[in-house]
Amino acid sequence: MSAEQVKAAEGARVEALGLTRHFGPHRALDNLDLEIEPGETFGLLGANGAGKTTFIRLATGYILPSAGAVTIDGISPTHDPRAVQARLGYVPETPRLYPELRVEGFLRFVAGLRGITGARRKRVLETVLERFRLEDVARRLIGNLSKGYRQRVSLAQAFLHEPSLLIVDEPTSGLDPLQQAEVRDVIAGLRGRRTILLCTHDLDEVRSLASRVAILHQGVLVAQGLSRDLLHGDDPLRSFRGAAVGDPGGGAA
Amino acid sequence: MTAFRALLKKELTVLFGSPVAYLVLTTVAILTAITFFEHLRLYNQQLFLYASSSMAGFESDTIPDYINLRDTVFFPVMEQLGLLLLLPIPLVTMGVFARERDTGTDELLLTSGLSPTQIVAAKFTATFGFIVLMMAVSFLYPVTAIFQGGLGLQHLMAVFMGLVLLGVAIASIGLVCSACTSSNIVAASSTITVTYLLYDFGWSYSFVGAGVANVLEVLSLHPHFSRFSEGLVSLADITFFLMMALAAAAIVRASLELRRVSA
Repeated sequence: MSAEQVKAAEGARVEALGLTRHFGPHRALDNLDLEIEPGETFGLLGANGAGKTTFIRLATGYILPSAGAVTIDGISPTHDPRAVQARLGYVPETPRLYPELRVEGFLRFVAGLRGITGARRKRVLETVLERFRLEDVARRLIGNLSKGYRQRVSLAQAFLHEPSLLIVDEPTSGLDPLQQAEVRDVIAGLRGRRTILLCTHDLDEVRSLASRVAILHQGVLVAQGLSRDLLHGDDPLRSFRGAAVGDPGGGAA
Repeated sequence: MTAFRALLKKELTVLFGSPVAYLVLTTVAILTAITFFEHLRLYNQQLFLYASSSMAGFESDTIPDYINLRDTVFFPVMEQLGLLLLLPIPLVTMGVFARERDTGTDELLLTSGLSPTQIVAAKFTATFGFIVLMMAVSFLYPVTAIFQGGLGLQHLMAVFMGLVLLGVAIASIGLVCSACTSSNIVAASSTITVTYLLYDFGWSYSFVGAGVANVLEVLSLHPHFSRFSEGLVSLADITFFLMMALAAAAIVRASLELRRVSA
């Protein structure tokens, strides 16, 4: 096994130090310090607009920080986005798919983007189609698929190159309860051997999937710790409202 | 290279998977045919008039030199074809970047290990490939008919090259407009506006000084194209069109990079 494969098997380390991002006068993320260990499933919680998606976009190199830095395995997406993107798979909140392509064609396209070709591509496609239970819809147009299937296709494209870091943003948003259970089931099956960053505002999702969580409120980290400690108390929503852990008075509304 | 090929293939699949490509090709073929046959009809009418014994003052069997297939049919058709392209090309280019931005698939491309240069190269190549196909379709009628009229193959190739380069220049403007917005309508309408402005600045020469007029003459698309339609292939004209394409590619690439800061 090569050093690269060993690294992928262990998962990636994510570190953010003083990470800040402004959008004009609005501070979407403010001085965030965060560390995610290799191989762990980490939940990033927060209400809508808390800064979760901004953090993801900074980690993937899609946008640049205003201050501070985030690194994946010590590599900064600001300086070497291609090296970082080779290590990660990203499932956005709304699946970014091409409705005019067929499922298999789309996955073949993404495999091409990831440099997977020939016999390896054939093998990888068979594996993901089976793993994400997409064999039955492989020849169907993406535009004709249900939301649940689209989410599975989105997960499959992020998993094609066996990334050491999988970033999943609001994976069950807009899905019916049955589809939510299916997607959670798929994510649960991906744990171990890779780091998973799960960004959501769904407490049940984090409780069932993540070992450790961080909670963002209006761009500021207000709590960080084991999910069983943070999310099983009398008022697990307290941190959502901006209260730092240990602050009995509650936070800003 | 694998990523470039994958994106190029996807672009062509999406383009030919939508009705726009077929609509544009059909429209261009029909409009070219109508324009060509209309000029051919006028040419035949003139021939008939000159040949008619009722034309007093002319010898019945004398046809003036300037009434020939080349000058009466081919050149006017090519000139009109240049103007005709201003409408269908923006329909092809409008969604190339704008639609990716609107649906968020640009995020997939920009986080899948593709560099902005690869994205620009693949999208420009696919669009220019379609332009060549479109020009071949539009060129079919005039060429098949005019081949009998004594126009040399070299001249025909020069005209075709001019048409392709003009199409590439208009498409380059369209791709820049598409990269600057997430709306297809805005991209198409701004492309048409900018191209009309750039097509021929001749109307403005009487309002500006000689120096400015010279600069505007260089920037106008039409003078560069019209030399090709006369059969003159000049390195300066080729360079002009290629520089436009390169400048457009650089602007689009910069806009993708800029989005990392401003998105």
